[in-house]
Parts: sequence; C-alpha cells; structure tokens
Amino acid sequence: MNDLFKYRAPTSRAELFSLLAAHGEGARILAGGTDLLVDIRSGLVRPELVINLKKVEDFSELTWSQSEGLIIGPATTVNDVLHDAKVRDCYPLLADCALTIASHQLRNRATVIGNIAHASPGADMAPGLLCLGARVQIASQRGRREVPLKDFFTGVKRTVLSHDEIVEAITVPPGTAGSRGSYRKLKRIDGHDLALVGVAVTSKDGAVRVGIGSAAPTPLLIEGLTDADPADAVVAAAREAIRPISDLRCSKEYREYMIEVFVRRLLEEVR
Amino acid sequence: MWMSVEVNGHIYEREVTEHWTLLRFLREDLELTGTKDGCSAGECGACTVMLNGEAVNACMVLAAEADGATVETIEAEAAKGELSEIQAAFARNYAVQCGYCTAGMVMSVRELLRHNPKPTVAEIKEGIEGNLCRCTGYQQIIEAVLDVSGQITNETRGGLKYV
Repeated sequence: MNDLFKYRAPTSRAELFSLLAAHGEGARILAGGTDLLVDIRSGLVRPELVINLKKVEDFSELTWSQSEGLIIGPATTVNDVLHDAKVRDCYPLLADCALTIASHQLRNRATVIGNIAHASPGADMAPGLLCLGARVQIASQRGRREVPLKDFFTGVKRTVLSHDEIVEAITVPPGTAGSRGSYRKLKRIDGHDLALVGVAVTSKDGAVRVGIGSAAPTPLLIEGLTDADPADAVVAAAREAIRPISDLRCSKEYREYMIEVFVRRLLEEVR
Repeated sequence: MWMSVEVNGHIYEREVTEHWTLLRFLREDLELTGTKDGCSAGECGACTVMLNGEAVNACMVLAAEADGATVETIEAEAAKGELSEIQAAFARNYAVQCGYCTAGMVMSVRELLRHNPKPTVAEIKEGIEGNLCRCTGYQQIIEAVLDVSGQITNETRGGLKYV
C-alpha cells in the first residue's frame, strides 16, 4: 500500500457505527477488500481509517426461513452463497451469478454485499438479486431503513448510502424462491474477467423480470413483463432501458447486440 | 497494531504495520519469500496462501486481518527435505518452467484437493482459474493434479489433450 491509514476491527455494531459516525468520509469499510485494496493501491481512494467489519458478531450470517426468505450478512462471501445448499435449492440464479465473479481465491474473500455496495455497473450479483426482488437493509447510529435494491443504486459507484451507514443485510423475499432463470455473462476470456454485459431473466407465477449489468450507469431491472409477452416485446423493453457506452472492453453496439442475444436465449430457457 | 498469527504451525506475536498487506508481512517481516508478488491486484494468483484453510490472494488481505488466524504458505509443503505429494507431481509432470506461478498454483491445488480429492478436469480448471501461468501452458499442471489425485498412469501420462 502506498498510503498510510489506520485500521480498526470492531466486534460490535455499536462500536462500528460510532467509528463510522466519528470519521465520516475519511473512513472506508473493509469487507472482502477485493475492491477497496485495489482502489487504495491505485490512489483512487485515500482513507484515513479502514474499518474491517468481518469481526462484528453475526455479520457472516447466511440464513433462510419461510417467513423472512434469505438473509445475507455483510461478511458473507461470494463462495459462501455459491456453496449454500438452500441458495442452490431456492435461488439457483444467485449461485449462477456468484460463480461468474472473478476467481476462486477472490470469491473466498469478496462479499456479496460488497459487490452490491461498491455499485459497479457490472456487479455480477446485481442482475440476479434485482430479478429476485432483493431488499437492502441499511443501518447506522441514527437507525435503520430498508430500500428495494432497484432504488439503491444512484450512479456509477454511487448509492443511497450516507457516509455513516452500512448495508447490514440483503434480504431476498420468500416469494421469489423457486423462480426459474439463469445468468449469462459475456467475458473476453473463459476465466477471470469483468462483464462486457451480464443478463439475468427470471419467470415466476407468470411474471418475467430481466436484470442487466454493464449496460447503464447502474445495474437495471425491467419489470412488468409477463410470460404472454412475445420475445420481441421483452427485447424492446430491454433496449428501451439500457444506456450502454463504448469502453476499453467493447463497443456500445456490441453490448446492445449481445444483450438482445442473451435476453432471447434466457427467455427460451425459462419458458 | 499488535497481532498474533499462526503461520505454518508457528505462532508469531508482533507489531504489524497497519497498511501492510499479508503478502508484504509474509515476505518482508517473516522472510517467507516462497510466496510471490506478481500483480499486486488479485489478478495473477502468484501470492496465493491459505488463510484459515481457504486459498486467498495474500496481496488482497491486510496483514492486520490475519490477527488470530491460521496461515499456510508454500514453505509448509515440503517437510524434512522431501517434496510434498503435490510438489512431486508437479515435478514429475513438468508442470514447472520459470516457477514464478508454482507456489500459488500448489496452494490452490492444496485447497482444491482438501474439498475434492478426485477433481475432474473441469473442476481442476475452476480450482486454478485464479492462477496465471505464462510459460508451460496449463496442460502439464492439470496433468499433475490428475496424477496426484490418482487419475493418471504411466501409460496415459503426456497423452492428455484437454487445454
């Protein structure tokens, strides 16, 4: 690391929240660290304090209940979700998304909530969680609030979180358990790469939902579609929603084209 | 920060610089230089070590995060002058050329075999997807893993065309 910072590893929520409240913008949360340490090393962020939240009691929880659905804690890693029997049973789409993230070593560290809270337009967990109606549980010293995931992202690496807040859990409602659907991620190589585009499609009780990553400043959710809609209508809705750009990974036109290809293929799978 | 960490069966208690990575701590403080520094960004896997039994990139972990943890590095593989079975299989199958990726590869394979003693070729590829090798190609490495897991014989050695 080029820059000096202090490190703290609180063990209680109260201690964590008071550190965040006291340090404001100068503090950064360290969960898996797979984005933060890269950003610090490149000078993109220069925190005065790094707060490791993995030692906070029950932050590694990953539980499922009929009434609450799936609860993912702040220290739950991508591999925890990937290997969880209940996830594979009720929300196999999430295991699909998880497997596409980076490499095995990084998945052992990277957290699901970190992937969401970092708010990269290409966050691989986002399309699946959006389709499954995930909700974001936000907490701070001031109290708690809940935001639907589709309203959580506000721009490239921007969210509704204030500096003193953390995502205390992501919940996936029991109502979307058993949704059919999967995730397609376009990469330049078969191994470890960021998404050129990522598309998830689900179908449950006649409702079709499409989640798209790397196609706009934030991950997108397209709702209000049904099993009766022809593929052309679903593609048209996706085209209407996306705002892709050309960048070092590929052109805007290629993104538009591949999103259409993936939407059509995934629709065929769920129908 | 004062910390205590178990590395390769030895307990180290010492002051650690709070912004140092686990990789720098292992190499510069404990002088365990078998773990290599490749990209420093979690891309290449050369610095793979085991943290509480899970393969991680040591460049993506702060040393301070290892407080109270158990770390295993490549130095724990060979014992009493004998190569470990994974290292011996790498040697037997010519899975090493320059050697820079090897320490990390061996650690990834160690974790893979703990969970999955007879991995398929697809599972081996997934297990080492975070480790880049720029010399030998991956075929010999995959063969070494098949060998150490008892899935290759002298007759089939070198005859695999997977990659």
